[in-house]
Amino acid sequence: MGRVKIARKSTFIDMTAMSDVTVLLLTFFMLTSTFLAKEPATVVTPPSVSEEKVQETNFVQVLVSPEGKVWLTMNNDTSANWSNERMRMALLDKVSEIYNESHKNKVSFTPQQKLTFSKLGAFGVPLSQMGEFLDLAGNTTTSTQADKWLQGESENPKHITGIPIDDNKDENRPNEFQMWMKALRQTDNEILAGAIKDGTGVAIKADQNTSYGTMHRVMDNLQTIHMNKFTLLTALKAGE
Amino acid sequence: MAEVQQNDGGGKGKNHQKKMTIRVDFTPMVDMNMLLITFFMLCTTMIKSQTLNIALPSNEKVDNVENMSQASADDAITIILDAKRKTGSMVPDTVNGKVVNEVYYFDGKPLNGEAVTNESVAANNNLQKAEFLADEVNGQGIPQARGIRKIIQERNKEVLKKLEEYKKQFRDGKIDQAKYDELAKQVRKDENLKKPVIIIKSTPEASYGALVEILDEMQINSISKYQIDNMEKVDSLMLIDYQNRHHK
Repeated sequence: MGRVKIARKSTFIDMTAMSDVTVLLLTFFMLTSTFLAKEPATVVTPPSVSEEKVQETNFVQVLVSPEGKVWLTMNNDTSANWSNERMRMALLDKVSEIYNESHKNKVSFTPQQKLTFSKLGAFGVPLSQMGEFLDLAGNTTTSTQADKWLQGESENPKHITGIPIDDNKDENRPNEFQMWMKALRQTDNEILAGAIKDGTGVAIKADQNTSYGTMHRVMDNLQTIHMNKFTLLTALKAGE
Repeated sequence: MAEVQQNDGGGKGKNHQKKMTIRVDFTPMVDMNMLLITFFMLCTTMIKSQTLNIALPSNEKVDNVENMSQASADDAITIILDAKRKTGSMVPDTVNGKVVNEVYYFDGKPLNGEAVTNESVAANNNLQKAEFLADEVNGQGIPQARGIRKIIQERNKEVLKKLEEYKKQFRDGKIDQAKYDELAKQVRKDENLKKPVIIIKSTPEASYGALVEILDEMQINSISKYQIDNMEKVDSLMLIDYQNRHHK
């Protein structure tokens, strides 16, 4: 008597709408995301008020670690004739040509090694060890060793990390870093050569705590081979 | 929405089938999507890195001479960056993992050639110390420049005053952005205005962050003539002399 009958309601929530939204969001993030390229050294770029955005393509990034080690990364316009692969192949040919002009121990690379080089991200080992490095990087079982080498954590003490750089001021006897930079200008890629001339072709990325002495060496090296214009990568300054 | 109703024509036939509702539970699907979104959100880099363009003077000395001769003694100001460190130590002080930098400046041209000796430098040392400081908002809510920025602003006030006038016109809607940019460019190039020539030098110990910071100051204060130069003997002597006198 007097018992109120409570209607049984289903607790089932329709998730279809929710699923639609999440799929849309997912699509958005998948399309916009650019993955962070793996870099051999983690650096915190200095804050700056400059609002100029970093160029997207056609530049070479010079990564400088606080210890003064140097790596290079190519960023080419993939839509143009010069894909990253093609550019890197041409670069390796050119740099070995320049190297062999002044060194008794000539370097040469097998087609397989060249192919491996064309697929690398950042690179930075002395040219004399490049062959060995590429052999390691080309083999899937040993590629982690190559990564470690690039980060300076190789178990083999003979493995040198970073492109050799010194205080050389003689344009006619370039060090290896200068050879690489020269080679970049001398490939047939005129878009990149033009960008280097304008100053947008070379971007230096370094940690804010890197000593000026270290940075000065890199800049001096570029100045010696008449690359007076370049850009510095910075982060947006909060506040101001 | 996530259900499909099956209707078998009113159940007239003998094979009376039960009305069936097929519901698909989308909850796991949403869960999975959320996980994927989280993954992509964390991996993505939305903020693009900023850049700062710099042009170093050419190594050929010819260009340099021309450049420097334009700078008369009273227009020139030299800024020297150094890392803060304890007396006698080479390791820079850090705050929150960031190297603390000091900035020194002096007006005019330093002694050169034969005149550079410890004694003459000490006697003519006009080196002064400043700091990197952000603007401070005063009582009226107007930001006030402090530290090295104030010093640079003071030297470049003629240019900044002109720029401020145009900026006001732009804000009042009298001129558009393109016109403002053009006028601003003219002001920066105007030879009749008194403009400082800033020479930036840095000790090897100062951090790269300080260099970027001082280049920022050039941009903030619309300095059109500045250059990055190498430390010379006289600069080091002045710095050491200053530090000896003040770090007691």
